Formats: sequence, C-alpha cells, structure tokens
Amino acid sequence: MISPPTATWRLPPRGVLLAAVLLLVAAELGGAGMGRYKVELARWARTGMLAHPGAHGLVGVRDVDERVLDEALFRFDAGLRLFHMHAEGMALVVIATTTVASTLARSPGARRVLILLLTVGGVGYPLGYLVWSALIPAYGVERSKAIAEYLLWIPFGGATIAALLWLAALTAARVVRR
Amino acid sequence: MGRPPLIVVFVAIVVIALGELGGAVLSQLRPATARWAAARIAANPTMHGLTGSAEYDDAVRERTVFATEAGLSFFHTHAEGTGLVLFFAATLVASVVRRRAARATLYTLLTLGALFPLGYLVYALAVLSLGRDSGIELAETWVLTPLGSAAIAGLAGLAAALARR
Repeated sequence: MISPPTATWRLPPRGVLLAAVLLLVAAELGGAGMGRYKVELARWARTGMLAHPGAHGLVGVRDVDERVLDEALFRFDAGLRLFHMHAEGMALVVIATTTVASTLARSPGARRVLILLLTVGGVGYPLGYLVWSALIPAYGVERSKAIAEYLLWIPFGGATIAALLWLAALTAARVVRR
Repeated sequence: MGRPPLIVVFVAIVVIALGELGGAVLSQLRPATARWAAARIAANPTMHGLTGSAEYDDAVRERTVFATEAGLSFFHTHAEGTGLVLFFAATLVASVVRRRAARATLYTLLTLGALFPLGYLVYALAVLSLGRDSGIELAETWVLTPLGSAAIAGLAGLAAALARR
C-alpha cells in the first residue's frame, strides 16, 4: 500500500487557499482582539444588553439582573472564543480537504462542487460563532443562538459534513479500485 | 509535496468527518444525551455506587453525566485535530522519508495515532457501563495510552527523519 514517492498532491485553486488563509488571519485577529480588548468588548456587550432589557428578561431588580447579565456575558465571551478556535481549525480543514478533493476527484464537475462545498462550509461555519456573539446583546442568548444556527451553523456545517462524507466515499472507492 | 497512500488519506478524512459529525450531534442532541446517560446510570446502580440517598446519588449522577459529555466533547475536538495531524504529517513523510520500510512504519504509527480520539468515545461509554473511575481507567489503559503513544512515536520518528536530512 506504499505509494511511490512520485505520487504528489495537487494544490487547490488559489482562491480557496486565499479564503483559508484569510480565515486563519481572522482567527488570529479574533484571539488577539479578545485578549487585548476584553474589557472594552464586555463593556460594549453589557451596554447593549442594558439597552435591550426585554431580550434578556431583565426585571429591574439588581440581584436578579446581575446574574442574568453575567450569564449572557459569559456566553458572549464563549462565542468569541469558539469563533477563534473553530476558525483556526476549519481553515486547516479547508486546506487539507480541498487538497484531497483537487487530487483525487477525477470528474471536473464533482471536483468543483466538492471544493465549493468544503470551502464555503468551512469558512462560513465559524462565522456563526461571531454572529452569535454579536447578536447576544440585542437578541438575548437563546434567540441569537437560534438565528446563528439557522443562518450559518446548519447550512454551512451541513455543507461541510456532506462534502466530507462524499470525499470519504470517493477516497474509499479509489482505495478499493487499486 | 508527496502524497501518502490512499488508505492513510482515507483514515484522515474519516476521522475529520467523524469529528464534525460528533460536534453536530453533541450540539443538537445535548439534552437527549444527558437524559440517556442518566437513564443508563439509573439502570446500573451498583456499578455507580448509588446508595439510595437522593443527595449523594444526584452528585454521583451529575459527575458521571459530566464525564460522558466531556468524553464526547473531547472526541469532537481531538478528531478534528488528529485527522489534520495525520494528513500533514503523512504528507511530510511521503515527501522526505526515502526508505520504504521507514515510510511504512511511520504511516502505521501516525494512522494509529489519528485513531486516538476513539478512546474518548470509549471513555464516554465506559463510564456509563463500568462506573466513572473504572470506565476512565479502561479507556486510558487500553485505548488512549496505546494510540497516543503511537502518535508520539510516529511524530518523533518524523522529527528524527527531518533532522537527519
């Protein structure tokens, strides 16, 4: 099963690599921004939450409201952290999987669709965490999570999972054919 | 860059796909997973050391359900990572290791290492059937340690091959 050293990878289209690298840059910037502007971000989110008391179920009783605000701020921060982590991971997943698709998918149509699904899914999915965080102050934790889920996580995550299963089947077929 | 054998590529893709699927299942079915885990603990009271004292039993149940959820969560994060490690490390092996036997050994070690996250699935299920401590011990001894060691040995071998060039 050892392939000759002459077997090589074909690089995915340059646009795909650019999208993946930009996602890596966004992830790094996100991580750095979270560390550098932690207080400012928390202050911005808290101000937004206080401006939308109905979205957070604030009742005007300090003891109760502070606990709700703390929980929402924790989720806001978690969303940013999850964006940072998922963007780093998914950028590498895009590079690896589109490289496999570029090399192993023989039909140009299938190759294009696979690369499109892997790239769009991989780049779009982590943005859901950013959208979730950004929407929390105005819409509350659960409503913004539902928005991110329907607009980004399910379509983009679904595209990635479908493309990965397709790619696994395609690779398995090539293994069997050899 | 050299391309590793198709079987290695296949394992890398499957591990990444399983990691993605695990994350999706975990986020969509978290309450159902917790309920199922609690039911499994209740069905196996002796193994979990439940005493019939509500307060104590609740604490035991909570810790065990948490361990199961942690196992599933670790599976998701590690599978995404080890699939990529296998892809990139095996590509380096294909590109820089000249001797066929050395390449075969490194591919085998790295591929076994990529299966390391399966240990967390075993961990999640074993804590439910054997109790928290025995379940963790089983997963660590028989799956996580051997597969993790294979990954370390494979990466150390690759480092040695790179250093020699």
